[in-house]
Amino acid sequence: MANPESAKETKFREAFSRWARRVRMRLSLGVVLTGVTVGLIAGAGGAAALWKLRQGTLRPWAAGAGIVGALVGAVVAQRRRWNDAEVALFLDAKLGANEAISTAVDLGKDPESGSSKSKKDKPYSDQKSKADRRRDSDPAQNPGYFVVLNQATEALEKATAKRVKTRVLRPVHATLPLAIGAIGFLSWIPLPPAPALPPPPPGAEEVKLAEVKGLEKVIALAELNARDDAQRERLKKLAEDARKLQQKLKEGVEKREAQAELAKIKDGLMAERLSLGEGEERQGLENALGKMAENSDLKDAAKALGDRDLTSFDEEMQKLANKLERQDRERAKKTLEEAAEAAKKAGAQNVAKALEEQKKRLDKKGAEGDALKELAKELGDSLPDDAKEALRDMEKSGSPKAQQKLAEKLDDALKKLTPDERKRLADKMKKQAGQMSPDQMGEGPSKEDLEDLAKKLETAEGMKELEEQLKDMAKEDPGTGDGQREQGLEDAEKGLGEAEQQLGVPMPVPMNGGKPDGKGGKDGAGKDGKGDGKGPGDSGGKGDAKNASPGHSDGGGPGDHKGQTGVVDGPGMKARADGKVNAGKPMPGITMGRTRGRPGETANIRGTGALGDAAPSEIGGVDRSVVPEEYREQLGRYFQPK
Amino acid sequence: MDKFEHKLSLARETTAKLKDAIGHVIVGQNDVVEQTLWGILAGGHVLLEGAPGLGKTLLVRTIASCLDLQFSRIQFTPDLMPSDVTGTNILVTAADGSRHFQLHKGPIFGQVILADEINRATPKTQSALLEAMQEHACTIAGKRHAMEEPFFVLATENPIEMEGTYPLPEAQLDRFLLKVIVPSPSEDEMTEILNRTTGRDRGDAPRVLSRDEVLEMRALCRDVSIAEPIVRYASRLVRASDPASQGAPDLVRRGLRYGAGVRGGQSLVLAAKAVAMLDGRAHVAFADIQRVAKPVLRHRLIRSFEGEADGITTDQVVAALVEQVPTRPENVEKAVAK
Repeated sequence: MANPESAKETKFREAFSRWARRVRMRLSLGVVLTGVTVGLIAGAGGAAALWKLRQGTLRPWAAGAGIVGALVGAVVAQRRRWNDAEVALFLDAKLGANEAISTAVDLGKDPESGSSKSKKDKPYSDQKSKADRRRDSDPAQNPGYFVVLNQATEALEKATAKRVKTRVLRPVHATLPLAIGAIGFLSWIPLPPAPALPPPPPGAEEVKLAEVKGLEKVIALAELNARDDAQRERLKKLAEDARKLQQKLKEGVEKREAQAELAKIKDGLMAERLSLGEGEERQGLENALGKMAENSDLKDAAKALGDRDLTSFDEEMQKLANKLERQDRERAKKTLEEAAEAAKKAGAQNVAKALEEQKKRLDKKGAEGDALKELAKELGDSLPDDAKEALRDMEKSGSPKAQQKLAEKLDDALKKLTPDERKRLADKMKKQAGQMSPDQMGEGPSKEDLEDLAKKLETAEGMKELEEQLKDMAKEDPGTGDGQREQGLEDAEKGLGEAEQQLGVPMPVPMNGGKPDGKGGKDGAGKDGKGDGKGPGDSGGKGDAKNASPGHSDGGGPGDHKGQTGVVDGPGMKARADGKVNAGKPMPGITMGRTRGRPGETANIRGTGALGDAAPSEIGGVDRSVVPEEYREQLGRYFQPK
Repeated sequence: MDKFEHKLSLARETTAKLKDAIGHVIVGQNDVVEQTLWGILAGGHVLLEGAPGLGKTLLVRTIASCLDLQFSRIQFTPDLMPSDVTGTNILVTAADGSRHFQLHKGPIFGQVILADEINRATPKTQSALLEAMQEHACTIAGKRHAMEEPFFVLATENPIEMEGTYPLPEAQLDRFLLKVIVPSPSEDEMTEILNRTTGRDRGDAPRVLSRDEVLEMRALCRDVSIAEPIVRYASRLVRASDPASQGAPDLVRRGLRYGAGVRGGQSLVLAAKAVAMLDGRAHVAFADIQRVAKPVLRHRLIRSFEGEADGITTDQVVAALVEQVPTRPENVEKAVAK
């Protein structure tokens, strides 16, 4: 038979455990529910983010945050789990037991550990000693223990679920269905439209060109007659680069890469074109130009040489040969000789060589021109009108084209002459040569030239030789070696221009677009070629309204500026365009200073590339400027060509 | 029925009889009677404060007559000396002519001591009670004399603001378990008092409790259980009465100079046990602590100058303590409130 006092204790413990379990379960449920709610709210936020990020398949998984929340809630609930004393206090308050349950739980604690005899209770620290605890739960020493147990058990037995109910649902739980609904909704609705991809950077598109004819001209540089071995190597390198680029274009390459390659080749070409008189030969070139500048006839030629435009230099010299009297030619030859000498002295061998070659050419071409003119004059009225006009043009401007035309017409005219007429013509020339002294200077050919011409007219072989000679003169003059090289480089440069054309517009220019009505710009007064743009209104151009560009910023009137080039609103882009880039083709961009426009690279960085060059007339410009003397040295150092 | 439960029941019956017996003499003043009984059962001393003529002395005399205990009355006057209270050695000539000192015990050597108008004596004389009240013993001429149990002092005093009174020292006050305020009787009670006291016969209170019964009830009171959380609550209340403590309510900080001490805490628990016992319970509830808080703490709180100037009473402070100091841990309190 069980001890009745022990039975009382068991009865109380069972009743208390039952209600304690219920209270703890409801409290834990509340915390877990809060965890689920918070998790699902976070999940709804995550689902919204995934929807926004277009991660369609991941959206339903956001509900998993609710499970995570539940787990976290369970952990928190376990950590916050009430001990028996807390549960007892709660039950006392709810049941109005006057702390009988708390007292019973307190008295029933294990005397050794001080914790409740309930196995699941966590240790509850108190200040009672073990001896006090033993006395508490010993009926002999604490006679009120079982009375308290009875009173507590009685209170617990009267308890109902409703009376000891703890609050499970909290206001925040009201958002639980909303969060579930939100996750469901966000998982169900279609994803937002994909955002427009940002436009690729300019030139990022791939180009694929099976054939780039322009590059063939650059590849041909490998065969060009070079000035020296070093130049030959450089030209070969340029040709090789062009060949590689051609290959890349066949296989496909980014447009900007191709443009950059083209720009590099172009720089190389430009450097080659300017290589005469560059570096150590610079001083020699300057000296030679200085000498040439002393002769007014050589002014244009000197300018062409100064610009390293050797084709123009050849042309100018050809003009001089055609135009100048023999006496003037001799003076020009002398000047060229002195210039060559000056260049040689300064160590500019290439410049000196070019000048000597020009001197010889001037001699030869001058003689040929004189003979041509004399022959034409002798033929007189038998010449057609266009030949006469070509003669006048040649005498006036020395145009090589006029010379060619005249040679062609003279060839035709000579073929039409009968043998008697040719004989008479030869005799006339002999007679004329006989009247001339050997060193006679002046207009027309020399005595030797006349005698030579007369001899050729007399015989059939001579006649044939003369015809051949005229045919040669009718052809375009290939020029000097430098000129031919220059021509080759120019052709290559044109070829590059064509290649750029094939690739597309090289470089975008930063500028604001005009308004649809064509009234762009700030206070711009139109200046269309006729109007000066300073009027108060309607001084605009005649351009098509559809193609209107912003007006020029200069001027004061409110004109509509139709037909004008748009204002370039680039930051600090004070520039003048150099039209030599892609001659006859649209400008590729904006250039600064004297540099040529280079698509694909910057032209607005001071002191790099071709910007370092100075024109002959600008040498010593600081000393001639209005800059105060004390600053000139410093300024000169700053602008010293590198 | 459990033996302890039976004792509890018996105690309740006896107490009811005692109240009934007192009621033969004392009209009304139920709370005063109740609180005085708490003090007697808890083994403490009770200080009754009230204006003259409210029946304080009569109440104590009545209680004393209901208990089969040795009664002593000390009328405190300004010229009362300590030795008048404790007693003294006097030179006695024996029959054979020899002389020796003989202890002449003072009125303190009783079981129920009525210290009437205690605050009319000087603090020096008041202090003569200190040892007897605390240790239930009295030292005279170097010799310690134990009091016979049960021993308790029931003192009466006039409000200290009255003419010719000396405020009791803090140490003296602290030795009283309870300070009971005796209120003026209601109209009905006054009428009943007049009827009873102006006739030929005056009611006498019968003896209800023997010495052993009183001792047994005191032991029973000590056996009443109290749970740890309730003891902690009592501790929190006492600590909160200290203006320097962190959990002190604003009124305490503003109105008090010193709070209750350890004796205050002990008194709270003991008085609460007496309340629980008289309620037939073997355990103390939070409500018991709250119920005894005023009589236990009111005379242990020393008001500050500001508190006195603002007219803050110690009863107000105790009420604020009871209201603001939480009974249960915060988490349980929240769950209970929902």
